[in-house]
Amino acid sequence: MKAALIGAGQIARQHLACLNTLPGVELAAICDLSPATAEAAAERYRIAAWFTDHRAMLEAVRPDVVHVTTPPTSHFQLAMDSLDAGAHVIVEKPATSSFEELEALVQRARETGRHLIEDYNYVFNHAPLEILERMESGQFGAVTHVEVLICLDILGPGGFADPNSPHPALKLAGGAIADFLPHLASLAHLFVGPHRTAKTVWSKRKDSPLPFDEFRGVVEAERGTAALGFSSSAQPDAFWLRVYGERMQASANLFETRLTFDGPRKVPKPLRPFFNGLEEGKAIRRAALATLLRKFGSSGAYEGLWELLARTYRALADESALPVSVSNVLAVNRMVEALKPSEQRPTEKQP
Amino acid sequence: MRALVTGANGFLGRHVVDALLARGIEVRALVRPAARLEALGWPPSVDVFRADLRSSRELPRAFEGVDVLLHLAAVVSGGEDAQFAGTVAGTERLLDAMASSTCRRLVLCSSFSVYDYSSTTRTLDEDARLHQMPDIYSLGGYSIAKWWQERVTRRFVEKHGWDLTVLRPGFIWGRDHGYLAALGQQFGRHHLVIGPLTRIPMTHVENCADVFALAAVDPRARGQTLNVVDGPGERVWTYLSDHMRGSGEPGWRLPIPYRLASAVVRLAFVTVFRQATKVPAILTPRKFDAMLKPLRFENRRLRETLSWTPPFNYRQCLARTYGPASPPAAAPAPWPSGTAAST
Repeated sequence: MKAALIGAGQIARQHLACLNTLPGVELAAICDLSPATAEAAAERYRIAAWFTDHRAMLEAVRPDVVHVTTPPTSHFQLAMDSLDAGAHVIVEKPATSSFEELEALVQRARETGRHLIEDYNYVFNHAPLEILERMESGQFGAVTHVEVLICLDILGPGGFADPNSPHPALKLAGGAIADFLPHLASLAHLFVGPHRTAKTVWSKRKDSPLPFDEFRGVVEAERGTAALGFSSSAQPDAFWLRVYGERMQASANLFETRLTFDGPRKVPKPLRPFFNGLEEGKAIRRAALATLLRKFGSSGAYEGLWELLARTYRALADESALPVSVSNVLAVNRMVEALKPSEQRPTEKQP
Repeated sequence: MRALVTGANGFLGRHVVDALLARGIEVRALVRPAARLEALGWPPSVDVFRADLRSSRELPRAFEGVDVLLHLAAVVSGGEDAQFAGTVAGTERLLDAMASSTCRRLVLCSSFSVYDYSSTTRTLDEDARLHQMPDIYSLGGYSIAKWWQERVTRRFVEKHGWDLTVLRPGFIWGRDHGYLAALGQQFGRHHLVIGPLTRIPMTHVENCADVFALAAVDPRARGQTLNVVDGPGERVWTYLSDHMRGSGEPGWRLPIPYRLASAVVRLAFVTVFRQATKVPAILTPRKFDAMLKPLRFENRRLRETLSWTPPFNYRQCLARTYGPASPPAAAPAPWPSGTAAST
């Protein structure tokens, strides 16, 4: 299967490193507006050809799958052109700037008989997958609530808050935080299903080029509720996922491999906190070691992306069900849309 | 004569601006939009042009009336991709803009990091082997970006028939930049000194800036690639002692023979770290070599081509780095303008 990438920046390198390990996948071409960036990626990942014009690449290479790994506001046109060229499209999150654009892409994918996959990499990290397994085996019980909170300092001068060159994500409704909404929504959707209603608070604590640096949302979904959040100020960096079932609860930090469960225990009730503590301590020590060892592996914190790509290419080859279906993408993006702020800047406080 | 200087407010850039002014050359200083310039004390004659090489659409305007470009800008912090985008893609955009102008002369600030230390024995000079593809990609973001920056620049020069001088400085030191990667590994206030007798390929920032200003005006520099070091360099132990004395930072120093440290790093690499994605630079053999390999360094070609000798000797450089601060920029230049500075 011939794979091609549009965009050769940081996230593209994660896709490329993974694709180089997948059986039956040929890295056919890469495209970037900067010739040196495209050529360097081609040399480094042994890609047959590089381009600076994506249409020329699609025409010359006729790839089976195109990965769109450019800044988010350019995704729509690039994905559309790739679908028109007859390729399946794996697009980085957020897939599009607006829900209307996403609907247009889905429509085109249906017309061309191709697939459109958005990268929900954290859904395929080890922790969510293990929680899912326990849900499927019945030991977890039905999920009633899920909490997802990303604490990440995005106010440093080198990234989203670059004072010299505005980051492309700032054009999205919600600014830089909008770049993370698909992570929050995809995990909420995984555990409690499509949303019905959502209430949000968008705010700004610190002076920066970002329109907002804090976000909280409460979602009522088909199978339960979700509390979602993003904080630029809460430190240290962490990606907390807490899932509350009728019999069990799980807590994970997706920036690490930490995952602990608290469930029924055959001990007298007064001794429960004691045994809980022992068990949790053991799991955290194990995870500390696994997190350290993960640094010596190739995928690192992007383990979920590797898993998602491996499953996607397997499904495309077998023509079996994809790990991220189009209805999944639509449902997650409906939730994302409901979480977006109504204004592009925080409303001024009245004196 | 007017020079356009990119990275003009950087550690080297600000001294290059001073050195150009001292030679009577008009300076257009290209700095990022949010750069703070007050402390530099530039005279009003410096024409400040604010633009970011990664995104500005105004770059062609920066070349209006410019006779020579001194390209010093590079991104030296952040991840590999940020460094590549800033340094390499930024250079592509800058040189695209130059191609639409009448400027045909450029001086590029490259780096010793383009040399393959691992395959070099004894003396590292301009004829030493450069990193090769694909080995270059096993190095850190800075080396990859500087290697690619030179590659991209040479392609533009070939395509447009420009005059190019490539200057490759060793470790640049000076006030507030006294600690060098060549000194080994720092643990808090304490130092693991690997190869204490190894010489450091070093150039004091004011000496280095003098070479850039000279290369901008001297026709003998055209078409040349020159390493910039002040001389054979101080030994690690000597320089670290002077640095600690000068900066008043107390601490212990533990000397480790280079061969022992090199063997340990190579053993650790082949057994454990080969596949690792996040290993400190010093534990990767190629990076270890680039920081610490005991080689001889010389500036013969620089001396012979441009008749250059460093304006300041080592003792004077120490005084300028660790002594009381002299008033900025507006002060008279330490060497007569319009001539090649020498002691």
